Amino acid sequence: MDKKNILKNGLLELFLLGELSPEQERTVHEALKKDSDLMVQFRSMEADFERMAFENALKPPATVRNSLEAALTSKEIQTPVRTLNISNAEGSRQKGRFMLAASLAALSALSTVLMYTQWQRAKENLQVLQQQTSGLEQRLTDVEKKYEDTTNKYQKINDPNVTPLLLVGNEKLPQGRATAYVNHTTKEVVVNPQGLPALDKDHTYQMWADVEGKMIDMGLVPTDRDLVALTYIDKAESLNITIEPAGGNDHPTVENLVSNIIL
Amino acid sequence: MKLLNNDIQLIRQLQDGDKRALLGLYDKYSGALYGVIFRICSRKDLAEDVLQETFLKVWQKIGQYDADKGRFYTWAYRIAKNTALNAVRKASPLIQTDDLSVYDTKAQETPVDYSEFNGLLKKLEPQHQKAIELVYFKGYTHQQAHKEMGVPFGTFKSYVRQAVGKLREMYSKELLLLLLYLEIFVNG
Repeated sequence: MDKKNILKNGLLELFLLGELSPEQERTVHEALKKDSDLMVQFRSMEADFERMAFENALKPPATVRNSLEAALTSKEIQTPVRTLNISNAEGSRQKGRFMLAASLAALSALSTVLMYTQWQRAKENLQVLQQQTSGLEQRLTDVEKKYEDTTNKYQKINDPNVTPLLLVGNEKLPQGRATAYVNHTTKEVVVNPQGLPALDKDHTYQMWADVEGKMIDMGLVPTDRDLVALTYIDKAESLNITIEPAGGNDHPTVENLVSNIIL
Repeated sequence: MKLLNNDIQLIRQLQDGDKRALLGLYDKYSGALYGVIFRICSRKDLAEDVLQETFLKVWQKIGQYDADKGRFYTWAYRIAKNTALNAVRKASPLIQTDDLSVYDTKAQETPVDYSEFNGLLKKLEPQHQKAIELVYFKGYTHQQAHKEMGVPFGTFKSYVRQAVGKLREMYSKELLLLLLYLEIFVNG
Protein backbone atom coordinates (compact mmCIF):
# COMPACT_ATOMS: atom_id res chain seq x y z
CA MET A 1 0.00 0.00 0.00
CA ASP A 2 1.40 3.43 -0.91
CA LYS A 3 1.75 6.53 1.23
CA LYS A 4 -1.20 8.29 -0.41
CA ASN A 5 -3.61 5.48 0.47
CA ILE A 6 -2.27 5.15 4.00
CA LEU A 7 -2.76 8.85 4.66
CA LYS A 8 -6.09 9.04 2.83
CA ASN A 9 -7.55 6.13 4.83
CA GLY A 10 -6.22 7.41 8.15
CA LEU A 11 -4.22 4.19 8.66
CA LEU A 12 -1.45 5.98 10.57
CA GLU A 13 -3.93 7.06 13.24
CA LEU A 14 -5.42 3.55 13.37
CA PHE A 15 -1.91 2.04 13.58
CA LEU A 16 -1.05 4.29 16.51
CA LEU A 17 -4.31 3.46 18.29
CA GLY A 18 -3.76 -0.28 17.74
CA GLU A 19 -6.99 -0.68 15.76
CA LEU A 20 -5.52 -2.44 12.71
CA SER A 21 -5.57 -6.17 12.02
CA PRO A 22 -2.15 -7.90 12.26
CA GLU A 23 -2.01 -8.05 8.43
CA GLN A 24 -2.74 -4.32 8.08
CA GLU A 25 -0.21 -3.56 10.83
CA ARG A 26 2.47 -5.41 8.90
CA THR A 27 1.59 -3.50 5.72
CA VAL A 28 1.78 -0.12 7.45
CA HIS A 29 4.99 -1.07 9.24
CA GLU A 30 6.60 -2.08 5.92
CA ALA A 31 5.48 1.22 4.35
CA LEU A 32 6.93 3.15 7.29
CA LYS A 33 10.26 1.37 6.93
CA LYS A 34 10.44 2.20 3.23
CA ASP A 35 9.18 5.80 3.31
CA SER A 36 11.13 8.13 5.57
CA ASP A 37 8.68 10.99 5.06
CA LEU A 38 5.82 8.77 6.23
CA MET A 39 7.94 7.70 9.20
CA VAL A 40 8.57 11.34 10.15
CA GLN A 41 4.82 11.98 10.05
CA PHE A 42 4.14 8.96 12.24
CA ARG A 43 6.83 9.90 14.76
CA SER A 44 5.42 13.44 14.98
CA MET A 45 1.93 12.04 15.54
CA GLU A 46 3.25 9.74 18.25
CA ALA A 47 5.03 12.65 19.95
CA ASP A 48 1.89 14.82 19.78
CA PHE A 49 -0.35 12.11 21.22
CA GLU A 50 2.17 11.40 23.95
CA ARG A 51 2.36 15.06 24.84
CA MET A 52 -1.44 15.28 24.87
CA ALA A 53 -1.55 12.28 27.22
CA PHE A 54 0.97 13.95 29.53
CA GLU A 55 -1.07 17.16 29.52
CA ASN A 56 -4.07 15.10 30.63
CA ALA A 57 -2.21 12.85 33.04
CA LEU A 58 -3.77 11.94 36.39
CA LYS A 59 -1.62 11.16 39.40
CA PRO A 60 -2.23 7.60 40.53
CA PRO A 61 -2.29 6.90 44.28
CA ALA A 62 1.07 5.87 45.79
CA THR A 63 -0.51 2.57 46.80
CA VAL A 64 -0.39 1.37 43.20
CA ARG A 65 3.38 1.86 43.01
CA ASN A 66 3.85 0.18 46.38
CA SER A 67 1.70 -2.69 45.30
CA LEU A 68 3.60 -3.05 42.01
CA GLU A 69 6.90 -2.98 43.89
CA ALA A 70 5.64 -5.66 46.29
CA ALA A 71 4.50 -7.81 43.38
CA LEU A 72 7.95 -7.52 41.82
CA THR A 73 9.76 -8.25 45.07
CA SER A 74 7.62 -11.28 45.86
CA LYS A 75 8.75 -12.78 42.59
CA GLU A 76 12.41 -11.96 43.12
CA ILE A 77 14.75 -14.96 43.23
CA GLN A 78 16.65 -14.80 46.48
CA THR A 79 20.40 -14.57 45.99
CA PRO A 80 22.19 -17.36 47.93
CA VAL A 81 24.22 -15.98 50.84
CA ARG A 82 27.34 -17.67 52.26
CA THR A 83 27.04 -18.16 56.06
CA LEU A 84 30.08 -17.09 58.14
CA ASN A 85 31.21 -19.48 60.90
CA ILE A 86 31.79 -17.11 63.87
CA SER A 87 30.88 -17.09 67.56
CA ASN A 88 27.70 -15.38 68.80
CA ALA A 89 29.34 -12.41 70.60
CA GLU A 90 31.89 -11.83 67.90
CA GLY A 91 29.15 -12.41 65.37
CA SER A 92 26.99 -9.75 66.94
CA ARG A 93 29.85 -7.18 66.89
CA GLN A 94 30.75 -8.18 63.33
CA LYS A 95 27.10 -7.97 62.41
CA GLY A 96 26.82 -4.42 63.84
CA ARG A 97 29.88 -3.26 61.92
CA PHE A 98 28.67 -5.02 58.83
CA MET A 99 25.23 -3.38 59.11
CA LEU A 100 26.83 0.07 59.51
CA ALA A 101 29.10 -0.50 56.51
CA ALA A 102 26.20 -1.87 54.50
CA SER A 103 24.02 1.15 55.40
CA LEU A 104 26.77 3.57 54.38
CA ALA A 105 27.32 1.67 51.15
CA ALA A 106 23.57 1.66 50.48
CA LEU A 107 23.34 5.41 51.14
CA SER A 108 26.29 6.05 48.89
CA ALA A 109 24.85 3.85 46.15
CA LEU A 110 21.45 5.55 46.48
CA SER A 111 22.90 9.05 46.18
CA THR A 112 25.00 7.94 43.21
CA VAL A 113 21.93 6.52 41.51
CA LEU A 114 19.97 9.72 42.24
CA MET A 115 22.76 11.91 40.87
CA TYR A 116 23.16 9.68 37.84
CA THR A 117 19.41 9.81 37.17
CA GLN A 118 19.39 13.60 37.43
CA TRP A 119 22.41 13.81 35.17
CA GLN A 120 20.81 11.52 32.60
CA ARG A 121 17.59 13.55 32.71
CA ALA A 122 19.49 16.79 32.18
CA LYS A 123 21.45 15.23 29.30
CA GLU A 124 18.30 13.89 27.74
CA ASN A 125 16.50 17.26 28.01
CA LEU A 126 19.50 19.01 26.51
CA GLN A 127 19.65 16.57 23.62
CA VAL A 128 15.94 16.99 22.85
CA LEU A 129 16.27 20.76 23.06
CA GLN A 130 19.29 20.74 20.74
CA GLN A 131 17.44 18.63 18.17
CA GLN A 132 14.40 20.89 18.36
CA THR A 133 16.49 24.05 18.17
CA SER A 134 18.34 22.82 15.12
CA GLY A 135 15.05 21.94 13.38
CA LEU A 136 13.53 25.28 14.30
CA GLU A 137 16.60 27.22 13.17
CA GLN A 138 16.23 25.66 9.74
CA ARG A 139 12.55 26.53 9.68
CA LEU A 140 13.28 30.06 10.79
CA THR A 141 15.82 30.46 7.97
CA ASP A 142 13.24 29.19 5.48
CA VAL A 143 10.59 31.53 6.85
CA GLU A 144 13.02 34.48 6.71
CA LYS A 145 13.89 33.68 3.13
CA LYS A 146 10.22 33.42 2.19
CA TYR A 147 9.53 36.69 3.99
CA GLU A 148 12.40 38.39 2.14
CA ASP A 149 11.11 37.06 -1.21
CA THR A 150 7.61 38.24 -0.44
CA THR A 151 8.88 41.68 0.62
CA ASN A 152 10.88 41.98 -2.62
CA LYS A 153 7.87 41.01 -4.67
CA TYR A 154 5.68 43.43 -2.75
CA GLN A 155 8.19 46.27 -3.28
CA LYS A 156 8.47 45.49 -6.98
CA ILE A 157 4.75 45.90 -7.57
CA ASN A 158 4.10 48.72 -5.09
CA ASP A 159 6.83 51.10 -6.24
CA PRO A 160 5.23 54.49 -7.13
CA ASN A 161 7.07 54.35 -10.48
CA VAL A 162 5.35 51.07 -11.43
CA THR A 163 2.55 51.06 -13.99
CA PRO A 164 0.25 48.04 -13.60
CA LEU A 165 -1.18 46.79 -16.89
CA LEU A 166 -3.99 44.24 -17.15
CA LEU A 167 -3.64 41.88 -20.09
CA VAL A 168 -7.06 40.44 -20.95
CA GLY A 169 -7.36 37.24 -22.96
CA ASN A 170 -8.82 37.50 -26.51
CA GLU A 171 -11.42 35.16 -28.08
CA LYS A 172 -8.85 32.32 -27.97
CA LEU A 173 -8.43 32.69 -24.24
CA PRO A 174 -11.52 34.55 -22.98
CA GLN A 175 -10.95 33.62 -19.31
CA GLY A 176 -7.23 34.51 -19.34
CA ARG A 177 -5.91 37.39 -17.28
CA ALA A 178 -2.36 38.51 -16.46
CA THR A 179 -1.07 41.65 -14.79
CA ALA A 180 2.21 43.18 -15.90
CA TYR A 181 4.00 45.64 -13.61
CA VAL A 182 6.31 47.86 -15.66
CA ASN A 183 8.85 50.12 -13.96
CA HIS A 184 10.35 52.49 -16.53
CA THR A 185 12.68 54.03 -13.90
CA THR A 186 14.42 50.82 -12.81
CA LYS A 187 13.71 49.17 -16.20
CA GLU A 188 12.03 46.13 -14.68
CA VAL A 189 8.99 44.11 -15.69
CA VAL A 190 7.26 41.48 -13.58
CA VAL A 191 4.10 39.60 -14.47
CA ASN A 192 1.53 37.91 -12.27
CA PRO A 193 0.41 34.92 -14.40
CA GLN A 194 -2.05 33.45 -11.87
CA GLY A 195 -5.05 34.37 -14.04
CA LEU A 196 -3.77 32.41 -17.07
CA PRO A 197 -5.12 28.88 -17.44
CA ALA A 198 -2.43 26.19 -17.09
CA LEU A 199 -1.24 24.67 -20.39
CA ASP A 200 -0.29 21.08 -21.16
CA LYS A 201 3.36 20.09 -20.67
CA ASP A 202 4.19 20.63 -24.37
CA HIS A 203 3.25 24.33 -24.42
CA THR A 204 4.11 27.54 -22.62
CA TYR A 205 3.12 31.20 -22.56
CA GLN A 206 5.72 33.63 -23.89
CA MET A 207 5.69 37.42 -23.74
CA TRP A 208 6.86 39.75 -26.49
CA ALA A 209 7.43 43.52 -26.78
CA ASP A 210 6.51 45.24 -30.03
CA VAL A 211 9.19 47.79 -31.00
CA GLU A 212 8.55 49.52 -34.33
CA GLY A 213 6.70 46.52 -35.69
CA LYS A 214 9.31 44.01 -34.53
CA MET A 215 8.42 41.47 -31.80
CA ILE A 216 11.20 41.09 -29.24
CA ASP A 217 11.31 38.17 -26.79
CA MET A 218 10.76 39.19 -23.14
CA GLY A 219 10.80 35.64 -21.72
CA LEU A 220 8.59 32.68 -20.79
CA VAL A 221 5.59 33.03 -18.47
CA PRO A 222 5.15 29.83 -16.42
CA THR A 223 1.81 29.72 -14.61
CA ASP A 224 3.01 27.95 -11.47
CA ARG A 225 4.57 31.08 -9.91
CA ASP A 226 3.17 34.17 -8.22
CA LEU A 227 5.38 36.63 -10.08
CA VAL A 228 7.66 36.17 -13.10
CA ALA A 229 10.48 38.60 -13.85
CA LEU A 230 10.84 39.37 -17.59
CA THR A 231 13.30 41.32 -19.73
CA TYR A 232 12.50 45.03 -19.90
CA ILE A 233 12.51 46.27 -23.53
CA ASP A 234 13.05 49.98 -24.21
CA LYS A 235 10.58 51.82 -26.44
CA ALA A 236 8.09 48.94 -26.40
CA GLU A 237 4.78 50.01 -27.95
CA SER A 238 2.78 46.99 -26.79
CA LEU A 239 3.07 43.80 -24.71
CA ASN A 240 1.89 40.53 -26.26
CA ILE A 241 1.37 37.01 -24.96
CA THR A 242 1.46 33.99 -27.29
CA ILE A 243 1.27 30.24 -26.73
CA GLU A 244 4.46 28.57 -27.92
CA PRO A 245 6.01 25.07 -27.79
CA ALA A 246 7.55 24.20 -24.41
CA GLY A 247 10.93 25.91 -24.00
CA GLY A 248 9.84 28.97 -25.98
CA ASN A 249 10.21 30.16 -29.55
CA ASP A 250 12.61 32.50 -31.38
CA HIS A 251 9.74 34.15 -33.20
CA PRO A 252 6.16 34.60 -32.02
CA THR A 253 3.45 32.38 -33.51
CA VAL A 254 1.08 35.20 -34.38
CA GLU A 255 -1.96 32.95 -34.82
CA ASN A 256 -1.49 31.87 -31.18
CA LEU A 257 -1.61 35.43 -29.84
CA VAL A 258 -3.89 35.26 -26.79
CA SER A 259 -3.54 38.73 -25.25
CA ASN A 260 -1.97 42.12 -25.85
CA ILE A 261 -2.01 45.66 -24.54
CA ILE A 262 -0.89 48.93 -26.08
CA LEU A 263 1.48 50.96 -23.89
CA MET B 1 12.81 10.41 16.38
CA LYS B 2 15.15 8.58 18.70
CA LEU B 3 13.97 7.18 21.97
CA LEU B 4 15.21 9.17 24.88
CA ASN B 5 18.46 7.85 26.33
CA ASN B 6 17.02 7.25 29.75
CA ASP B 7 14.15 5.24 28.29
CA ILE B 8 16.52 3.15 26.20
CA GLN B 9 18.57 2.28 29.27
CA LEU B 10 15.52 1.40 31.34
CA ILE B 11 14.07 -0.74 28.56
CA ARG B 12 17.39 -2.54 28.05
CA GLN B 13 17.69 -3.16 31.79
CA LEU B 14 14.13 -4.51 31.85
CA GLN B 15 14.79 -6.74 28.85
CA ASP B 16 17.84 -8.04 30.71
CA GLY B 17 15.57 -9.03 33.58
CA ASP B 18 16.14 -6.07 35.91
CA LYS B 19 12.69 -5.63 37.41
CA ARG B 20 13.64 -2.42 39.20
CA ALA B 21 13.85 -0.69 35.82
CA LEU B 22 10.08 -1.15 35.61
CA LEU B 23 9.66 1.32 38.49
CA GLY B 24 11.69 3.90 36.54
CA LEU B 25 9.32 3.54 33.61
CA TYR B 26 6.39 3.61 36.01
CA ASP B 27 7.57 6.90 37.52
CA LYS B 28 7.75 8.49 34.10
CA TYR B 29 4.67 7.10 32.35
CA SER B 30 2.15 6.05 35.00
CA GLY B 31 0.44 9.47 35.13
CA ALA B 32 -0.13 9.66 31.39
CA LEU B 33 -1.33 6.05 31.24
CA TYR B 34 -3.51 6.43 34.34
CA GLY B 35 -5.17 9.44 32.65
CA VAL B 36 -6.25 7.15 29.81
CA ILE B 37 -7.11 4.16 32.00
CA PHE B 38 -9.19 6.21 34.41
CA ARG B 39 -11.21 7.76 31.59
CA ILE B 40 -11.94 4.29 30.15
CA CYS B 41 -12.77 2.65 33.49
CA SER B 42 -14.55 5.62 35.11
CA ARG B 43 -13.92 3.91 38.45
CA LYS B 44 -10.99 4.55 40.76
CA ASP B 45 -10.63 1.03 42.20
CA LEU B 46 -10.79 -0.61 38.79
CA ALA B 47 -8.44 1.96 37.23
CA GLU B 48 -5.83 1.35 39.95
CA ASP B 49 -5.95 -2.41 39.36
CA VAL B 50 -5.67 -1.91 35.62
CA LEU B 51 -2.68 0.42 36.01
CA GLN B 52 -0.82 -2.19 38.06
CA GLU B 53 -1.78 -4.97 35.64
CA THR B 54 -0.61 -2.83 32.73
CA PHE B 55 2.87 -2.47 34.19
CA LEU B 56 3.06 -6.15 35.05
CA LYS B 57 2.23 -6.87 31.40
CA VAL B 58 4.92 -4.39 30.32
CA TRP B 59 7.37 -6.38 32.42
CA GLN B 60 6.20 -9.71 30.97
CA LYS B 61 6.06 -8.54 27.35
CA ILE B 62 9.02 -6.19 27.20
CA GLY B 63 10.85 -8.73 25.01
CA GLN B 64 8.26 -8.10 22.29
CA TYR B 65 8.76 -4.33 22.28
CA ASP B 66 10.44 -3.13 19.08
CA ALA B 67 11.61 0.51 19.12
CA ASP B 68 11.56 0.58 15.31
CA LYS B 69 7.80 0.19 15.38
CA GLY B 70 7.17 3.11 17.70
CA ARG B 71 7.84 4.88 20.94
CA PHE B 72 7.66 3.03 24.24
CA TYR B 73 4.72 5.15 25.34
CA THR B 74 2.69 4.21 22.24
CA TRP B 75 3.32 0.52 22.92
CA ALA B 76 2.45 0.83 26.62
CA TYR B 77 -0.64 2.90 25.73
CA ARG B 78 -2.00 0.05 23.60
CA ILE B 79 -1.46 -2.42 26.45
CA ALA B 80 -3.14 -0.05 28.92
CA LYS B 81 -6.11 0.57 26.62
CA ASN B 82 -6.72 -3.12 25.93
CA THR B 83 -6.30 -4.07 29.58
CA ALA B 84 -8.74 -1.35 30.63
CA LEU B 85 -11.32 -2.30 27.98
CA ASN B 86 -11.15 -5.96 29.06
CA ALA B 87 -11.50 -4.99 32.70
CA VAL B 88 -14.55 -2.81 31.97
CA ARG B 89 -16.13 -5.63 29.97
CA LYS B 90 -15.57 -8.09 32.85
CA ALA B 91 -16.93 -5.62 35.39
CA SER B 92 -19.95 -4.70 33.26
CA PRO B 93 -23.16 -4.62 35.36
CA LEU B 94 -24.83 -6.78 32.69
CA ILE B 95 -22.65 -9.74 33.54
CA GLN B 96 -21.76 -8.74 37.10
CA THR B 97 -22.31 -11.55 39.55
CA ASP B 98 -20.73 -9.97 42.64
CA ASP B 99 -22.39 -7.68 45.14
CA LEU B 100 -22.96 -4.51 43.13
CA SER B 101 -23.34 -2.35 46.23
CA VAL B 102 -19.61 -2.67 46.84
CA TYR B 103 -18.85 -1.07 43.52
CA ASP B 104 -21.57 1.56 43.91
CA THR B 105 -19.97 2.69 47.15
CA LYS B 106 -16.51 2.78 45.64
CA ALA B 107 -17.73 4.68 42.59
CA GLN B 108 -18.94 7.44 44.87
CA GLU B 109 -15.43 7.79 46.25
CA THR B 110 -14.08 8.98 42.89
CA PRO B 111 -12.87 12.52 43.52
CA VAL B 112 -11.45 13.40 40.11
CA ASP B 113 -13.42 15.07 37.34
CA TYR B 114 -11.98 13.17 34.40
CA SER B 115 -14.41 14.66 31.88
CA GLU B 116 -12.40 17.88 31.76
CA PHE B 117 -9.38 18.02 29.50
CA ASN B 118 -6.25 20.10 29.78
CA GLY B 119 -3.60 21.49 27.49
CA LEU B 120 -3.97 22.14 23.80
CA LEU B 121 -6.69 19.49 23.43
CA LYS B 122 -9.07 22.03 25.00
CA LYS B 123 -8.35 24.47 22.19
CA LEU B 124 -9.58 22.14 19.44
CA GLU B 125 -13.00 22.62 17.84
CA PRO B 126 -15.67 20.74 19.85
CA GLN B 127 -16.14 18.02 17.18
CA HIS B 128 -12.36 17.44 16.94
CA GLN B 129 -11.99 17.35 20.73
CA LYS B 130 -14.84 14.84 21.00
CA ALA B 131 -13.36 12.62 18.27
CA ILE B 132 -9.98 12.45 20.03
CA GLU B 133 -11.64 11.95 23.41
CA LEU B 134 -13.57 8.94 22.11
CA VAL B 135 -10.82 7.13 20.24
CA TYR B 136 -7.84 8.03 22.41
CA PHE B 137 -9.14 8.55 25.93
CA LYS B 138 -12.24 6.34 25.92
CA GLY B 139 -10.89 3.46 23.83
CA TYR B 140 -13.69 3.52 21.23
CA THR B 141 -12.95 2.07 17.81
CA HIS B 142 -13.60 4.39 14.87
CA GLN B 143 -16.67 2.28 14.05
CA GLN B 144 -18.11 2.73 17.55
CA ALA B 145 -17.12 6.38 17.80
CA HIS B 146 -18.82 7.60 14.62
CA LYS B 147 -22.08 6.07 15.84
CA GLU B 148 -21.62 7.65 19.26
CA MET B 149 -21.17 11.05 17.62
CA GLY B 150 -23.99 10.42 15.15
CA VAL B 151 -21.96 11.29 12.06
CA PRO B 152 -21.06 9.20 8.96
CA PHE B 153 -17.91 7.09 9.19
CA GLY B 154 -16.08 9.16 6.56
CA THR B 155 -16.90 12.39 8.39
CA PHE B 156 -15.61 10.95 11.63
CA LYS B 157 -12.34 9.88 10.00
CA SER B 158 -11.98 13.43 8.69
CA TYR B 159 -12.53 14.78 12.21
CA VAL B 160 -9.70 12.60 13.54
CA ARG B 161 -7.38 13.54 10.69
CA GLN B 162 -8.15 17.24 11.08
CA ALA B 163 -7.67 17.03 14.86
CA VAL B 164 -4.27 15.34 14.42
CA GLY B 165 -3.27 18.09 11.99
CA LYS B 166 -4.41 20.85 14.35
CA LEU B 167 -2.52 19.33 17.27
CA ARG B 168 0.66 19.17 15.17
CA GLU B 169 0.22 22.81 14.21
CA MET B 170 -0.44 23.98 17.77
CA TYR B 171 2.38 22.00 19.37
CA SER B 172 4.84 23.30 16.76
CA LYS B 173 3.75 26.89 17.39
CA GLU B 174 3.99 26.44 21.14
CA LEU B 175 7.49 24.99 20.80
CA LEU B 176 8.57 27.94 18.66
CA LEU B 177 7.25 30.37 21.28
CA LEU B 178 9.01 28.45 24.05
CA LEU B 179 12.31 28.67 22.20
CA LEU B 180 11.81 32.37 21.60
CA TYR B 181 11.22 32.88 25.34
CA LEU B 182 14.31 30.80 26.08
CA GLU B 183 16.32 32.85 23.60
CA ILE B 184 15.14 36.09 25.23
CA PHE B 185 15.73 34.68 28.71
CA VAL B 186 19.25 33.42 27.93
CA ASN B 187 20.43 36.39 25.89
CA GLY B 188 18.58 38.98 27.89
